[in-house]
Amino acid sequence: MGVLSAIARTLRPAPAVAALTAGALALSACGGSSLDQSGGGESGGPVKIGLLIPLSGVYAPLGQDMRDGFTLYLDQHGGKLGGREAEVVSADEGEGPQTGVPAAQKLVSQDRTTAVVGVVNSATALGLRDFFTESKQPLLVANAGADAITAGRKSDYVWRTSFANGKVGAALGPAVAKEAEGGVYLIAADYAAGREMVAGFRKAFEAAGGKVAGEKYTPFGKTQDYQPYLSAIRSSGAKAVYAFYAGAEAVSFVKQYKQFGLSDEIDLYGTGFLTEGDVLKAQGQAAVGTKTSLHYSAELDTPRNKEFVAAYQKAFNEPPTVYSVQAYDAAAALDKALAKTKGAGGQKLAEALGEVGPIDSPRGSWTFDAAHDAQQKYYLREVRSSGGTMVNAVVSELS
Amino acid sequence: MDTYLVSVLNGLSMGSLLFAIALGLSLVFGMMDVLNLAHGAVYLAGAYVAVALAGDGTGLMAFVLAVLAAAVVGALLGGALAGLTRTTRRHLDQALLTLGVALVVAELLSLAFGDDVRSIAAPAPVDDGVKIFGATYPVYRLLVIGFGIVLAVAVYLLIERSALGSVIRATVSDRAMVSALGINTGRVLVGVFAAGAALAAAGGVLAGPILGAQPGLDEKVLLLALVVVVIGGLGSVRGALLGAVLIGQVQAVGTTLLPEFASFLIFAAMAVVLLLRPAGLLPARSAVHA
Amino acid sequence: MKAVDAPAGPDTARMTANGPDEPAGIRPHRARIPVALAVLAVLAAAPLVLGPFPITTMARILAFAVLVLSVDLLTGVTGLPTLGQAAYFGVGAYTAVLVGLHITSDALVQVIAGLAMGLAAAGLTGWVAVRARGIVFLMLTLAIGESVHQLADTWSAVGGSNGLSGMPPITLFGGSPLLAPGLVYWWVLVVAVAVFAGVALVARSPYGRTLRGVRDNESRMRALGYRPALARYSVFCLAGAVAGAGGALWAAQARFVSPGDMGFDVAALALLSVVIGGAGSLWGPCLGAALVLLVRDNLSGYIGGHGPLVLGLMFVIVVFVLPRGVAGLTGLQRARGKGAR
Repeated sequence: MGVLSAIARTLRPAPAVAALTAGALALSACGGSSLDQSGGGESGGPVKIGLLIPLSGVYAPLGQDMRDGFTLYLDQHGGKLGGREAEVVSADEGEGPQTGVPAAQKLVSQDRTTAVVGVVNSATALGLRDFFTESKQPLLVANAGADAITAGRKSDYVWRTSFANGKVGAALGPAVAKEAEGGVYLIAADYAAGREMVAGFRKAFEAAGGKVAGEKYTPFGKTQDYQPYLSAIRSSGAKAVYAFYAGAEAVSFVKQYKQFGLSDEIDLYGTGFLTEGDVLKAQGQAAVGTKTSLHYSAELDTPRNKEFVAAYQKAFNEPPTVYSVQAYDAAAALDKALAKTKGAGGQKLAEALGEVGPIDSPRGSWTFDAAHDAQQKYYLREVRSSGGTMVNAVVSELS
Repeated sequence: MDTYLVSVLNGLSMGSLLFAIALGLSLVFGMMDVLNLAHGAVYLAGAYVAVALAGDGTGLMAFVLAVLAAAVVGALLGGALAGLTRTTRRHLDQALLTLGVALVVAELLSLAFGDDVRSIAAPAPVDDGVKIFGATYPVYRLLVIGFGIVLAVAVYLLIERSALGSVIRATVSDRAMVSALGINTGRVLVGVFAAGAALAAAGGVLAGPILGAQPGLDEKVLLLALVVVVIGGLGSVRGALLGAVLIGQVQAVGTTLLPEFASFLIFAAMAVVLLLRPAGLLPARSAVHA
Repeated sequence: MKAVDAPAGPDTARMTANGPDEPAGIRPHRARIPVALAVLAVLAAAPLVLGPFPITTMARILAFAVLVLSVDLLTGVTGLPTLGQAAYFGVGAYTAVLVGLHITSDALVQVIAGLAMGLAAAGLTGWVAVRARGIVFLMLTLAIGESVHQLADTWSAVGGSNGLSGMPPITLFGGSPLLAPGLVYWWVLVVAVAVFAGVALVARSPYGRTLRGVRDNESRMRALGYRPALARYSVFCLAGAVAGAGGALWAAQARFVSPGDMGFDVAALALLSVVIGGAGSLWGPCLGAALVLLVRDNLSGYIGGHGPLVLGLMFVIVVFVLPRGVAGLTGLQRARGKGAR
């Protein structure tokens, strides 16, 4: 009896739904916009730029730096991009695509932005590629480093002002091959970024004649204790280590590297994120002597950078980081592109981004390459103590 | 060989920390059937107390002060949790209540201290390394092992050899009878809850130089503590000790032996133990044995 | 000697569910049908009125609600609180994306594949979990969930931490790709309603009564000749299938899956939704799912990313004020003096 009425209950709505569906499809010609594909931007009036950055969670400090960098550019240009008043709408990317994708959808579909800047997490960037392409809205990735964003999953609408994992890793290869007096041990967090950086480094390193003494990946986000790996490094007889870690793992790794005595015997090299921003503050003395490769350092001794650092310091009371510069440059690129399209978005804006030419950035002049990545210089940096605080001093340029 | 010996040592230091943290969790469950999912947040609160009071490697005094302050904070949180959970009866509700409190506490900590990774230096006299088995080993971690041993002995003496311990054991075993004897069992329960939480928060300070303080750490520590408690046997102090030592070793030595499977080791160990002994290794559901 | 996890009496036996219980369920049926119709009508009409972003949000809520339904089946109906259903949800989502990337973009095939893989995964891992009950079962499901999450995070064949992106839009019965959010939403709605009806049928069937019996007093069921272990294993597999279907729906609207779509956070949110909505009532948890997802994804941005604070406060409040969850509100008039509290 209960079963029968249960079935009746489930079948009853069916005709109603069917009728509604038929009616709705008939009506869709005059459609609500959720039954159309959205597309195109708007021109005229202020330009709305979406800032998709982490406001909460482990990446929040990066999001803060990116927002500061973007805001600084606007402040320096009277709040205008491409000659039009710029209105910035922020959305919380959170820690991953579960929050990042809906946030981006809100920016594009609800807030009707002309372009979106940001994205720290690579998975989020990859997941958003189709959405931005189909919505015909440019996305300027200001951090996420996955190689696929500009390689396998390249799109007309996705541009990157930051870096590609493989290229940052590769930049250090020849330098380490020259300096290291023996085998080099490779160690990184076991996720896509770690693997891509090591792969990039290894290729360039071995091509320059280097010898790899061992390669290990540590469980990403789950490793607090690096002792077993540090012991393995010691027993491998390596004369130098190339490591990639970011955030909390970078802090733990570098501190334990010192605590277990390796920093006195085995040189530590890595990608810049190992010692960038707040991570360096937390590492303190333990990081001294670590050499890294990155496309920026606040210590870069050029007039353009000195001026930028002074302005940033004045506005936000702390030195800029690579994340600040990446977002600052995204604003610069948008400024140039929007000037060309006179505020229009959509396909015109995406094409204009391809024609912005060299960006005069605090990191040095750079351009977008064919893959929509930043074609830029990389610097060899070394952590030194400067008046009590740790800084990434620039040692040389890496070709 | 030396590598393995260093790993064993490391496993012992992690095990000591886990014992301190898991003890409260196990006792509370054994006594009240309450799965306190806010335990990780209490630990994190202790860690942030260390950040506030002893963040920059100030001397030994500041560090000891941080431990005591954290214990107080933990006791307060534990008392509050005990009060909250006693108003609900269903176990799922209690567990989710504590999960809600955990979320709130973690968010408040994030609001107060920001989302940056914070580092805590070991107190100055002991932040050196010492040569053991041919490798440098941080002195601080040796001290943590020492602390674990002292704690285990102290808990044993308390539970097995003192009047308070017998009241605790009796309350777990037959609460109604103890109450009939005129002892205020409610106070005993709140006391155990508070003490367990105080220990977890102190553990947060002690683990600070090793694990630091950051958002999300509470979940990781809670997970480890839960595994320890379930493996050892819910409600059993000896079980908590054995579980902590075991998990410490699995993590340290296991990572050395089987690095490819490092992320699965803890759960594999738990699954194996539970398949063979569903009640845990040293179950003591109806009695709290030290 | 008490076993560590066996419920020991009518009071502790109510470890979990307490929704509108079976005997009262048959009578209000007829009163509920117009309400159900009205709800369905509103849901179906939504794309005509709402813009693309709210519709995408609703599609996500529906897919997540299917996961929550599977949790309620285990937790509310059978008395097995679980933190592992997100694993089968993820298996279903990954399967659907892989099918969409390499085999076909037909949405029905994807849902069936997701369902089947969820069922298989639950069948493989379930026998380990159902040997225990209570807290130990919870821990085992947590272990399963975390292990599957880890696997997805490190296995490069499924994209590792980058996940799988680039799934083409779904098609239906050989038609053109469904790009408009409203059309995808309708597909998700149809499948979600079908799954809900299926689960409701199961819950009201004699099999469902067996499950509730196992929940309430297992030893008595055994004495009556039932086999609780078999019941628990079978419902575990069924819940895995439901979760897998939910995952396929999630993939259909997101066209992308990553390890973060399963794991402890998602599992905890699902359990939360069940408790907020009212364990055992099936429709309550769906409402809970909507609330939880809206707070996490939509509200959170407006309050500086501190959505979890609101969620935590919601938990605490619900436990105190609505012990039977939202669904319990409807049962308040019927004074059921079971003294369940």
